[in-house]
Amino acid sequence: MILRRHRRTALSILVVILVAIYSLGPLVWIGITSIKPAGTEFRIPLEYFPAEPTLESYRVVLSETFSIQTALFNSVTVSFVAMVGSLLLSGFAAYVIARFRFRWRFAVILLVQAAGMIPPIIVIAPTFIMLRAAGLVGTVWAIIVPNIAYGIPLATLLLTAYFTRIPLSIEEAAQLDGAGRVRVYWQIVLPISTPAMVSAGVLCFLGSWGEFMHAFTVSLGLPRLRTVPVAILSYTQAFEMQWSWVSAATVISIVPVVVLAVFFQRGVVRGLTAGAVN
Amino acid sequence: MNAAVARFGAKRRVWILLAPALVALTLFYFVPIAQSALYSLFDLRFTLNVGDARFLGAGNYVRALTSPVLWRAAAFTVTFAVVVVALDLAAGMVLALATYWVDKRFRTILRVLIIIPWAIPNVIQASIWRWLFDSDVGLIGDILVRVGVAASPPLFLVESELAALTIVITYVWKGAAISAIFCMAALATVPKEIVESAWIDGAGPLRRFVSVTLPMMIPVLLVALIFRSRDALRVFDVVYSLTGGGPGGSTETLSTLTYKTYFSFSQYGLGSAYAILSFLLIFSVATIYLLRLRREIHDPESL
Repeated sequence: MILRRHRRTALSILVVILVAIYSLGPLVWIGITSIKPAGTEFRIPLEYFPAEPTLESYRVVLSETFSIQTALFNSVTVSFVAMVGSLLLSGFAAYVIARFRFRWRFAVILLVQAAGMIPPIIVIAPTFIMLRAAGLVGTVWAIIVPNIAYGIPLATLLLTAYFTRIPLSIEEAAQLDGAGRVRVYWQIVLPISTPAMVSAGVLCFLGSWGEFMHAFTVSLGLPRLRTVPVAILSYTQAFEMQWSWVSAATVISIVPVVVLAVFFQRGVVRGLTAGAVN
Repeated sequence: MNAAVARFGAKRRVWILLAPALVALTLFYFVPIAQSALYSLFDLRFTLNVGDARFLGAGNYVRALTSPVLWRAAAFTVTFAVVVVALDLAAGMVLALATYWVDKRFRTILRVLIIIPWAIPNVIQASIWRWLFDSDVGLIGDILVRVGVAASPPLFLVESELAALTIVITYVWKGAAISAIFCMAALATVPKEIVESAWIDGAGPLRRFVSVTLPMMIPVLLVALIFRSRDALRVFDVVYSLTGGGPGGSTETLSTLTYKTYFSFSQYGLGSAYAILSFLLIFSVATIYLLRLRREIHDPESL
């Protein structure tokens, strides 16, 4: 029995190590590349342990020329503002879907979920033209505003599932006290829906953070408008690019999202569980 | 109940609360689709001024559907989607089961490790793997040479078949994480008592999984299958940043083809026709999802 338990522990550790190699291996290699002096990352044979580790590449990508911090700042702004927007709009919509009977209810659900199925490629060009006509291209709003819409289908799905499960009695009590529907939503429903808001929020945030096609198109190649993915791609395509620089930029840019994902992993799994088993 | 709804003057409020979300979706999804549909009927090249353009009717569609380039991209996209979805759901399932199987103490750390690739944006994931697959100083080529599988580092992104394989591996690295999250969610929906009673009845682990756990996971797995297929069929970022559709157009997907037709060659009419056709393909998968929603949705309990 004790032997069996030890075997299980040993096998568990093995599983963890294998998964760690799978998930972290590529990232560790990027980390190693980032501390090699620029140019030495192309040396053959490969240096698994950099002979002269240096943080020089980090200084380069944080400098005026590359300014990865601008991209980070843009990504945080875009993702945060778009997340708040998506949650606000989806929250109202989900509450109505979860709590009101009305004639077009099913049509609304279908419409919202159908939107989530639309491939970005078909909307990207007309959206660009529309935003240009509205005078937004060239500003960060051109990236933010569509991302609010892009977050709505998934957020509405998750929030509806959660709201539906809130016992009616809680809201009824508040209504008997004379609170109107909107006040019930703000003061009762929202506070007890924090877990769903958090997981929908994380998904919206990461969605905008990783969104590339639209951000790439409306950034017009201007460094000041680049989000993180756009910046990283432009670095890899830049003339005479050093991969130790790209790696340093990659490390800087993935740390925040990885921390976010790790921190909220439980909530995200739980939120998706609620959404997927409507 | 209906009386209560009426008492709150619900009708108008319903639409006031729904309006912001519906307006946003209309502006950034439905209007653009209508515009693409319109553009696809005109001979639009280098200009987007429909007023000056010649009306072609189905002309762009005829040109698109008779073009080998489109069929090649469609075939690659569909094959890619089938391979990738099968691989990442299988890998995701194994990973999710592992989080249940391992000793309790390791459960959280394992879950965290599994989830990490999911947080990384597609483009960055592609650039990481492009460096790993570098044909001169890539880690993977180096390892293959060291263990004696290859005499010299393979030209991963230069040869068509290797390039396709590279894209698949890169995509599945993150895809498996996403599928694992879905599978963990699916596993969480399986009532413990049922699996336990099967265990008491003497069913072995494989038997328990195949005839008890798996069938109960199917509703969530179906959602996973649909979402993953949708994502795979509209793949853009990974391909665009790894191979750009090359070498020689061998890894061109519907999305990269459309994007290039539009933004590199300024063939707006034809590009819109491509976009509408890829939309129809993806929507055939989406329909399954929407039909399923129809069955699942019940009237809400109202106040």
